[in-house]
Amino acid sequence: MSLEFLNAFKYMKKQSFLHNLDPRAKLIFSIIYTISALLFTQIIPLFFIFLSLIPLVLLGKIFRQWVKSIRGLSFLILFIVILNTLFISLSFALAMILRIFIMVSAFSIFFLTVDPNDLALSLISMKLPYEFAFSFSLAFRFVPTIAIEAQNILDAQQSRGYEMQKKGLINQIKNLFPLLVPLIISSIKRAFNVAEALESRAFGSRKERTYYYSIKYSFKDYVFTLYLLVFLAFVIFIRVQFNSMPDFLMWSLPV
Amino acid sequence: MIKMLREIPLIMMKEIGYTYPNGARALKNINLNIFSGELIGIMGKNGAGKTSLIRTLNGLIRPTYGNIYIKNENTNSKSIATLSKIVGVIFQNPFHQLFANSVEEEINFSLRSLNLNKEEVQKRTDQILHEFDLEKYKKRSPLNLSGGESKKLAFASIFCRDPEILVFDEPTLGQDAKEIEFFINLINSERKKRKTIIIITHNIEFAYEYIPRTILMADGHIIADGPTKEVLNNEFLIEQTSLILPQICQLYLALQQLGLQEINKISSKNDMTNYLRNLLKNKSSKI
Amino acid sequence: MDLIRFESFYYRYKGNEEYTLNNINLKIEGNNSKFILLAGETGSGKTSLIRCMNGLIPQFYAGFYRGKVEIQGKNTIEASIADLSTEVGIVFQNPENQLISMNVEHEIAFGLENLGVSPKEILSRIKQTASITEIEDILDKAPFELSGGEQQRVAIASILVLEPKILILDEPTALLDPYMANKIINLLQEIRRDKNITILISEHRLDLILPFTEQIILMKKGSIVEHDSCEKVINGDNFQRLRLNKPVIFSIFNQLKKENLYNKNIPISISEAIKTLKSYY
Repeated sequence: MSLEFLNAFKYMKKQSFLHNLDPRAKLIFSIIYTISALLFTQIIPLFFIFLSLIPLVLLGKIFRQWVKSIRGLSFLILFIVILNTLFISLSFALAMILRIFIMVSAFSIFFLTVDPNDLALSLISMKLPYEFAFSFSLAFRFVPTIAIEAQNILDAQQSRGYEMQKKGLINQIKNLFPLLVPLIISSIKRAFNVAEALESRAFGSRKERTYYYSIKYSFKDYVFTLYLLVFLAFVIFIRVQFNSMPDFLMWSLPV
Repeated sequence: MIKMLREIPLIMMKEIGYTYPNGARALKNINLNIFSGELIGIMGKNGAGKTSLIRTLNGLIRPTYGNIYIKNENTNSKSIATLSKIVGVIFQNPFHQLFANSVEEEINFSLRSLNLNKEEVQKRTDQILHEFDLEKYKKRSPLNLSGGESKKLAFASIFCRDPEILVFDEPTLGQDAKEIEFFINLINSERKKRKTIIIITHNIEFAYEYIPRTILMADGHIIADGPTKEVLNNEFLIEQTSLILPQICQLYLALQQLGLQEINKISSKNDMTNYLRNLLKNKSSKI
Repeated sequence: MDLIRFESFYYRYKGNEEYTLNNINLKIEGNNSKFILLAGETGSGKTSLIRCMNGLIPQFYAGFYRGKVEIQGKNTIEASIADLSTEVGIVFQNPENQLISMNVEHEIAFGLENLGVSPKEILSRIKQTASITEIEDILDKAPFELSGGEQQRVAIASILVLEPKILILDEPTALLDPYMANKIINLLQEIRRDKNITILISEHRLDLILPFTEQIILMKKGSIVEHDSCEKVINGDNFQRLRLNKPVIFSIFNQLKKENLYNKNIPISISEAIKTLKSYY
């Protein structure tokens, strides 16, 4: 379950409306939806906000992956339902579930449709130092590599009789050493190799670095951002005037 | 080595297929019998399925369809821990397994799952470190060893478990002649103990000279299985598997094209040396 | 002016008691392109020698040194690694750890971006380099989508685009199958001819490389024991004594030479072997 869940955040190169948007517009999207989710604790408004995500998911052609990210939360959801129902109410529990769905979606959609390259560029355009943005995209680049490495290490250790299941908390922690130590060491070695390669390609040698790719806000980015701002204004308005809103918005389960 | 006709193969793979979770089909309709005591090479392009094939032997991968029998028992019902006692796989990169505080502890770790008593563990550790000439590094951190010594330690950490079947993934990668000679001696002494050895390699010259039987893989299939000297001498097969003809075969072909007489079957370095020796001695022959 | 010049250079990594490089004296000229093989047993110092050639030693790898190394007249202690990298391009072992971008095109652009080259110039250089290294149709692929041979070509392209005067490769064929390895070495030969640059390769797989080699630098225990034409080194005593992976052809003719049946230069390719046998008649 856990690996599938992570896959729902991995960038997939596609041609879609969402993919073609500027990464900064998508960042604004994630932030605005997160804020919107946090504004409500009632089921109905949250449900509508959640529904409004679906056309975007379809526009991004990432429906299947998005569903996976929701599914991956199933364990957490069960946990929340039980706790919240016991201590507060089932309605509140359901509302919290919707909230989590929205926030996770906001970021899963972001990561699914933003090329890590573009992400680094957008960080730079927001005046972050180049080295910082670069480390960020470098981390992204090597995540799949490290995942494969971890699997190879597990294979090598299992071939020597290493077993994963151990009893007792202390034993379980000790049991991670044969996996973690080689992984950490190989990551450090890799870092050295990468650094050496970067030096050999003049990394950091000049302050005035040029950029081969660039990101620019286009018409559709402005339109999308405008839509998001209107959406946020609308949501805030509903929240502020909540008590004078029609009753059905405040509907909750009789539990 | 005489093969008893009624002998049941030590390893039997029947109609094995394996598809990775992401949909990639790594193994397709693999049928393979390996008898006890054999020395076998597995060769093929990168991505042909060689590593996937050996990972099915100790249970790291479970076939999507088909059955594997080791010592006449289906491997499906056995855990990796059990299988790894019979099949010792040594992967390419020794740094994927070294982690202990000392070389000695590294060996102890490998012996742990065998449930031996303290004396036996000590005995085996001392023995294996001596065999691999690593005694002087006993208390040293395994991470402080050179590349060649790390590889030896990786070998030692599987050999100390004394598995019946030894599987090597690219053992001669990045090694010079001295290290390769050490490996050859290692293989020979294991063969004397009637161990079964499987080697994945790209080193054609090594395979041609030392490995009796070769399996060629391409695109998840086994496309050839037979005596190495025949398999590697086949231009069609060589092309299919991204290999090149061993130098002896290339020279043989070139000599043949010159229309030489008495160019009998040459199938080893010694044969070729003998042939050329005679050629140079009897300068009366015409080329 | 020599392209690369070592003068009585010693180097010891910090934390090591022994010297990794002992009294290195080496001259590599820059005017005409050559194909040079750097050979030696494992641990003889080949990778360390390579690291000296663009300043990684002693600038990146802390340690103790004596003597001097000059690249195109620039001292490797004073000149920046970035500056030296425009003269000497190094492709390290394991291309996976050198590919840092999310697509091939950007990978090639990277070094030029760092040097402040204009995007227009970058575009034209990418086109040229991609054509020579035959990676035009994989420009939009991600590094993990590439095969071993493709990764190697991309790594080479990403250094070649900086237009160094010498291209140095540390075991470029290690992870490749024999056919791919052969292709890469042929590619390097083409690059050498097209761009008129010197190629220096550190390799264990001598059988593939010797047919192209013009000069050999032989190392043993941190010293250079011989640096001469391929022919001279192959037929010399040092090569005999070192435990290198000599080609089968070499071993056969070497044996015949020892038996005094053969007295010419030892062939290192099949065509050479046939030619030399013919010459006996």
